[in-house]
Amino acid sequence: MRRAVGPLLAVTVALVLADSAIVTLALPDILQHLDTSVGEVAWVLISFNLVLGVVAVPTAMIFSRSQPRWFSAAGIAVFAGSSSWCALADSIEMLIAARCLQALGGALALVGCLELLVARYGERRGVAAWITAGVVGTATAPVIGGLLTQAISWQAIFVVQVPFAALAVPAALSVRAVSTPAPDRHRPAVRANLTLALLSAALTAAMFLLVLLLVNGWGRSPATAAVTVSVVPVAALAARPIARLFRPPHEVEIAVGCFLVAGGLVALALPPSSHLAWTIAPQALVGLGLGLTVDQLTSKAMDMRLPRAQHAAWTIGARHLGIVVGLIILTPVFTADLKDAQEPAQQAVTSLVLDAPLDPQDKIELAKGLGRVLTEQKGQVPELHGAFAGLETDPDDRPAVDQLERDLNSQVERAASVAFRDSFLIGAGLAFLALVTLVPLRRRRTS
Amino acid sequence: MNGTRRWVAMPVAALLLVCGVVAVQLTNGGGTYEPLRSADACAGRPVTSQADGIDGLVERLVLLAVDDAACQLGVGREELTLDIARSGDPTDAQVDALRDGLQSAVRQMEVDGSLPPASELLDEALDSADLNGLLETAIRAIPDSVLDSTLKTDDVLERAIDDLDVRDLLANLDDQRDLEAQVQDAVVEAVKDSLEARIRDLV
Repeated sequence: MRRAVGPLLAVTVALVLADSAIVTLALPDILQHLDTSVGEVAWVLISFNLVLGVVAVPTAMIFSRSQPRWFSAAGIAVFAGSSSWCALADSIEMLIAARCLQALGGALALVGCLELLVARYGERRGVAAWITAGVVGTATAPVIGGLLTQAISWQAIFVVQVPFAALAVPAALSVRAVSTPAPDRHRPAVRANLTLALLSAALTAAMFLLVLLLVNGWGRSPATAAVTVSVVPVAALAARPIARLFRPPHEVEIAVGCFLVAGGLVALALPPSSHLAWTIAPQALVGLGLGLTVDQLTSKAMDMRLPRAQHAAWTIGARHLGIVVGLIILTPVFTADLKDAQEPAQQAVTSLVLDAPLDPQDKIELAKGLGRVLTEQKGQVPELHGAFAGLETDPDDRPAVDQLERDLNSQVERAASVAFRDSFLIGAGLAFLALVTLVPLRRRRTS
Repeated sequence: MNGTRRWVAMPVAALLLVCGVVAVQLTNGGGTYEPLRSADACAGRPVTSQADGIDGLVERLVLLAVDDAACQLGVGREELTLDIARSGDPTDAQVDALRDGLQSAVRQMEVDGSLPPASELLDEALDSADLNGLLETAIRAIPDSVLDSTLKTDDVLERAIDDLDVRDLLANLDDQRDLEAQVQDAVVEAVKDSLEARIRDLV
């Protein structure tokens, strides 16, 4: 059991930070299952990140006056209990409430686990384990969430967290860490945290928008989307060995990381088609950027600063409030763009149906079916297959009908890609802003 | 690795990588992956139909008419089609533009020789018309040359279009039977008018 303590605490950190993005690929299923709107379902993500971002620093302040192991165990227990509640939620309001509680427990767990990992492994290794677990959790979350949603259900995302967290409670209680008042108090690292916040907002754009584009825009299954976005964590893991080849100063490494995230987002805004291959190189850029920046910025914000837990909490706050800012900026932009894309998409569909090499009677039947499908789309990308399913055509016309269905779907995919373009570019802008924060300010000369 | 190279090598590599990826996306059409744009309705486009006989003729006439009406109204063909389909109650301007478009389509097809002679459409028209057997046999016995010189397709169609209640026709798009009945009544009336006019000319 003693050997498992450290890994269990690290897994808890990874789980809590993964929860900020793990439901991304499950959002379409949640939307359908809980019969809600796109705007409301976005709050499943926003609420968790908002609560985690807001309560992290106050939690760390309270932490300094409490027993680390009890504090951590309580946080992990709340996190596990609220994860179960998320899985049982039968309305969007209940799910959002459960996510808020999950974030509150998560904040206690994150702050507590840092101190327990330091007590277990020592200062340097403990902090490194905490940061690495966070980066791994953030990068792999959408992949794991997508695979679980496809294989089982969206509720499975929350259910699988419970046993890990439940095991982590006794693990936390077994670590004998004592709360010692910090001998010194340092100011928060404003610049590193600001860069982290802006970069988190940009990375949210990359992960959140990409999975929505793949699942809702291009009609791919959550599992396919999960496998596709796994390029990001793989590239993030490759970032460190690549950086070692160049041995750049830390500032250069972070700046390059921001630039790669921005470049990847610009490339994601410009896919030449809906073929998944076109997302690989842009995702690799984003993943490399993530791998070069998040751990470096977190280390920089915490380096030699006391109290350690509070500075760690500032990084959590910056990261998750950055995600909230990203979601709050991007959600209205892409929902409005998706709405604006409906008219050109419907006109393209109309054009293809009018000119289709089909019998006029089939065209009229198809137009009626498409009319029904497009009326029911409610701000989402329509599923056109329903209009074709009931169409009874001459077997000789079947190839033309199939070709028309492919062409119409292609038009819908094109419209969806255009609808996501501005949001990806805004994400790239946020990454460039993160880069700007790294430019050294000229110090005022004193005579 | 010396100091300068440590500062420069990675940014240069990143710049090349980003420019390379963006350039590949753009050169493969990344900037232009958009839905099909509506063609200029006034530019004129060839129209074809998979159907033969009256259905094919009607489809080609309607496609030409929608283009012409959209051009007249200063909108795209698709925009006009969607607007009519969504509203269910077309404006007077749309109805007039569609009627003008149908007339213009008949003239255009007459000019380019794609309007079939009346004899080619007669059998199909008689099959769907509810005439008594004797009259139907008598009409079928008329030689094609006589029929074509007596009944001009463009004249019949123009008269039928004048008779048609386009607003009512658009309202009946969902009901195939009503639609066919309405068109058939207009065509029968147009044939009668055309024949009467022909006889008046002869007299």
